[in-house]
Amino acid sequence: MVLFWIFGVVILWGLIIYGLQIIAVRSTLSSSKNREGNSNPVQSFPPISILKPLKGLEDNLFGNLESFCLQDYPEYEVICSFQDENDPAHKVVQKIKEKFPDMPISIIIERCYRGFNPKVNNMFLAYQYSKYPTILISDSNVMVDKDYLKTIVKPMDNPKVGLVCNLIKGTGGKSIGSIFENLHLNSFILGNVCFLDKYLRIPCVVGKSMLIRKRDLEAIGGLRSFKDILAEDHFIGEKIRQLKRRVVISNYLINNVNEYWGLKKFINRHVRWGKMRWKIGGMQYLFELTINPVFIACLPLFLFGLTGKTLSLLFLVCLIKIIGDFYLGRKALTPMHPLVYLLSPIKDFLIGLIWFVPFASNTVIWRGNRYLIGKDTKLSLYPEKGGAWMYRIMHGIKARLV
Amino acid sequence: MLLCDLHIHTTHSDGSVELRRTVDLFGQAGFDVIAITDHVVNGDNAFGKLARRFNFSIKEDSFKAYMSHITQEAERAWDRYGLLVIPGVEITKNSFSSDKSAHILLIDIKEFIPASWGYEKIFLEAKKQDALIVACHPHRTSEKSFIDTLFLWNNRDKYARYIDAWEIANRDDVFNVISLKKYPYIAGSDFHKVRHLYSWKSMLNCKKDIESIKQCIRSNWGVAITLFRN
Repeated sequence: MVLFWIFGVVILWGLIIYGLQIIAVRSTLSSSKNREGNSNPVQSFPPISILKPLKGLEDNLFGNLESFCLQDYPEYEVICSFQDENDPAHKVVQKIKEKFPDMPISIIIERCYRGFNPKVNNMFLAYQYSKYPTILISDSNVMVDKDYLKTIVKPMDNPKVGLVCNLIKGTGGKSIGSIFENLHLNSFILGNVCFLDKYLRIPCVVGKSMLIRKRDLEAIGGLRSFKDILAEDHFIGEKIRQLKRRVVISNYLINNVNEYWGLKKFINRHVRWGKMRWKIGGMQYLFELTINPVFIACLPLFLFGLTGKTLSLLFLVCLIKIIGDFYLGRKALTPMHPLVYLLSPIKDFLIGLIWFVPFASNTVIWRGNRYLIGKDTKLSLYPEKGGAWMYRIMHGIKARLV
Repeated sequence: MLLCDLHIHTTHSDGSVELRRTVDLFGQAGFDVIAITDHVVNGDNAFGKLARRFNFSIKEDSFKAYMSHITQEAERAWDRYGLLVIPGVEITKNSFSSDKSAHILLIDIKEFIPASWGYEKIFLEAKKQDALIVACHPHRTSEKSFIDTLFLWNNRDKYARYIDAWEIANRDDVFNVISLKKYPYIAGSDFHKVRHLYSWKSMLNCKKDIESIKQCIRSNWGVAITLFRN
């Protein structure tokens, strides 16, 4: 009985945090101007080089790239970089170039093995090639509106601001994996990013969109400093803060288009992100499970069986979570069918199971390669042959000791 | 080279993706040419009757609406993606025996052709409409062994002269016998589900217009196939 009430208290704690996340999202999205951009009535528009590291066909790739060619912004260039000229995304970029012949779009192809982070590898040459002093690192699965550049550049008027990143919302779910992904982005990720920024003043950098000056990036060691780091976005943010520059999360919501994901892709991504958070946050990662009230509410079912009490508790928590996620989805202007939110508790349960994986595995498969994750998400090659298991265990013990 | 998929089904027959979404899917993936080829099923046996009963077939009375929908989407696809969409059908003559079954793509068809007609009559009518005639999946397939369509290949001596190209590769299968015989060939996905986007495709070295594409395939000059993977 005491155990049941302990569960009750943990669930209540999770729901309170969830409520605070909703308030944080509401307050962040309601503010019409970015905090750092208010003071200066005359906005400057520095020319921007947009770096697009591409690999493979993302959902809605043509539309995503097209949205960057339709920006209402005086001067900018788009640099698309590939590791392989046979990449199917290459053809899409060529078609975009044909559609926008006057737009300065460059294609860079270089097979680069400088580091283990494939995204950073893909950006080295594009970065060298970029001609403007401000760069925007933008993922291929991002779609934006016409006023995106004008809005995110506002905080850069303040010279103390070193990095601007964005809130993201998931859109376009047409399969179970992408529906789960979008539900998770629009509740857990959006809620936590706003919560951390508003209450704890911790800007959580998500690498889907990062606006940064070249001189600041060079001051923190340039891209080469992050070539072996899995969470390069988080550590770029950290280093910028160490440089006494501010990291601003713009309240401009960018669309992360996920349409046809399978369940496997959803699980793989969140296993990878979970491992990243475990390596970065350490003990703070343990706290994450307590803010998943649906998963916690499932546990009494296994411990005490199917009783009226356990079922009522689970039903109530699921109902609150469905309504809350529905509200967040509406707040983020996500065009998802209302019935889709009924899947939210199932997604939360799955995320609860995924939470345990980082304790059992310290490897990650990213863009087809397997790596070992060390301290601060530093990647090293996974030995595929001979004694791999022994190596993994030793590496795991070493990483924990460090 | 034009990246093409000339064998695509939508919810107009037994595909699971509706036409507009199909066009967007291929447009977003950078394709140059696609042909929408929904089934026209013969109604003279139980298979066909069931397919027609559950609207898995284009029928004479729905053909006009089907063509008009494709034309409308073709305009949108051209404006948005520079994607050429060609209307077509897959004449589906199913029988209980694989040796008596055949599927035929008629690409750039203008008027309805019933699947219950004899082979020669279908071919002659298609020629009259200047449609491209493709014998599809003419061999045993790994995925569809239940309904293999072997009739045309088994009777190639009689019918090869009518056929503009043979589908040398379908979805994940390759039928190298056709290339050995030096018949003109193409490859297609037989697209029914989103995952079928990643399958065998044709690459054509010609201009992006219907006449050039038909000419390229018929002459078998500048045709290549590629296994399209992400």
